[in-house]
Amino acid sequence: MSLKSYSRARAVHVMLVYTGGCNGCDIEIVNSIFSPKYDAEQYKIFLTWNPREADVLVVTGPVTKHNEKPLKAIYDAIPEPKAVIAAGACALMGGVYKNIHGDIPSEEIAGPVDKIIPVAAKVPGCAVRPEDVLAGAVAALPLLLEAK
Amino acid sequence: MDEDKKSSRPGVIETEITMGPVHSAAIEPYRVRLFVEDEIVKDAEITVGVNHRGIERIMEGLPVEKANSLTEKICGICSNSHIWNSVLVAEKGLGIEVPERAAYIRVIMEELERLHSHLLYLAHGNEVLGHETFAMRLFYIRETVMELLRMIGGNRVQYGVSIIGGVRPRCELDEMRIQKIIQGMDYLEEKIADFADRFVSDPMVISRITGTCPIPKKEALRLAVSGPTLRATGVELDLRRDMKEYDPFEFDVITQEGGDVKANLLMRVLESFESIKIIRQAIKDLPKGPITDRSWEMQDTDVIKSYIEVPRGRLYHSYRLEDGRVRGSIVRTPSMTNIGAMQYACIGHHITDAQLGIVQCDPCFTCTDRAIQIIKL
Repeated sequence: MSLKSYSRARAVHVMLVYTGGCNGCDIEIVNSIFSPKYDAEQYKIFLTWNPREADVLVVTGPVTKHNEKPLKAIYDAIPEPKAVIAAGACALMGGVYKNIHGDIPSEEIAGPVDKIIPVAAKVPGCAVRPEDVLAGAVAALPLLLEAK
Repeated sequence: MDEDKKSSRPGVIETEITMGPVHSAAIEPYRVRLFVEDEIVKDAEITVGVNHRGIERIMEGLPVEKANSLTEKICGICSNSHIWNSVLVAEKGLGIEVPERAAYIRVIMEELERLHSHLLYLAHGNEVLGHETFAMRLFYIRETVMELLRMIGGNRVQYGVSIIGGVRPRCELDEMRIQKIIQGMDYLEEKIADFADRFVSDPMVISRITGTCPIPKKEALRLAVSGPTLRATGVELDLRRDMKEYDPFEFDVITQEGGDVKANLLMRVLESFESIKIIRQAIKDLPKGPITDRSWEMQDTDVIKSYIEVPRGRLYHSYRLEDGRVRGSIVRTPSMTNIGAMQYACIGHHITDAQLGIVQCDPCFTCTDRAIQIIKL
């Protein structure tokens, strides 16, 4: 085990990026890591806001056109190995904002997330439940730990 | 507070510090430009627009029931307020009388939402202050409210209680739910009072927030600030006093003096107690009867407007109905007007206070991001 993966196994840093949802998922994700009830910090999952420190990128929201470039830049700034979790209905398929008008293409939404960056785990829900966020983070861990 | 302090960008400003759209201190994407001279903020500019999803345009031509549930997706913090106000617009236009029990349940939901929003504000404020322990404790208290919301609406964030003519059958309050709400209120009152005692007796925190980023009363009125941020400057203006849904309930309109961070934080703590008071009264006097009135008929209407008081201030919805479809929908959220206060609060203070000045106005840029055009008259 290299030094990097050794240290990573002891502290996984999650970065939350918010690309135009409704705030609901974001608060639930912050809640699931920060709040004493769910408390992902006890499993050594920490919230960070610096892409260079992050291992896991959690993306919420349908990715509006304005947010496409910043999202790519943040993804590129995260060092390898990295995993992306798309959380919430908007991140998975564009949500109501993209789909409510049927086949008419949306002019505001560039997403969903997997169109723009590769996604490792998907967490469904509108809004996501904190339990599901923890399950998603756990599902993405092998990708990080098994990487050389 | 003088004329020269405000917005006229004086001469050449050497340093510009920009934040965002994605930044550590701000969970939501927005852009702040701070023009700094000797560590003092001389001018501030907040830009939204990254988050634009065009909700009003998506609403155009949707059946009114569908459009109502779409308004809930404008904001994940005050989702109930949006759907409530949107339903009120349709009810006003179609002349629907909501059953009394449904009106009470709506008020209970709105006050629960106010509690969760205020607790979130306090937690976020403490996090920005650098007091993580308080923030975590508040998140723990808030969890009680989230459980109650989930119990009534079935979801933790988007609960969709109101429908045209009443509330969803799922949100009926039976004896078990009423007991749980009563227990929750007792717990919350005790815990919030406990937190408030700790908060005001902490000299480090109080010295940090007293007199930081004040907004004077006159400026607040000029900038058309609304909601708790306005009341924290000493103006007694609460739309709940004028809303007929709140007529049966006794509550005080809380005001604070000064409009600084301390006044704003204490404002939310004291308002939480008023919300608990309203919920207790509503539970005690909950009328019997049906919760949905389905004896209405769709018809075309003129443009109808509705204002309600939501956790952050004054919310405006308007649209007209045509063949049961929504036309010309306009939504204005409270943070739209509060942006002026956020910019004002930063100016003239140390740059380390700038984020606190923005957060004290309870920003919610997600709901604010919609097509706007500012016209200077």
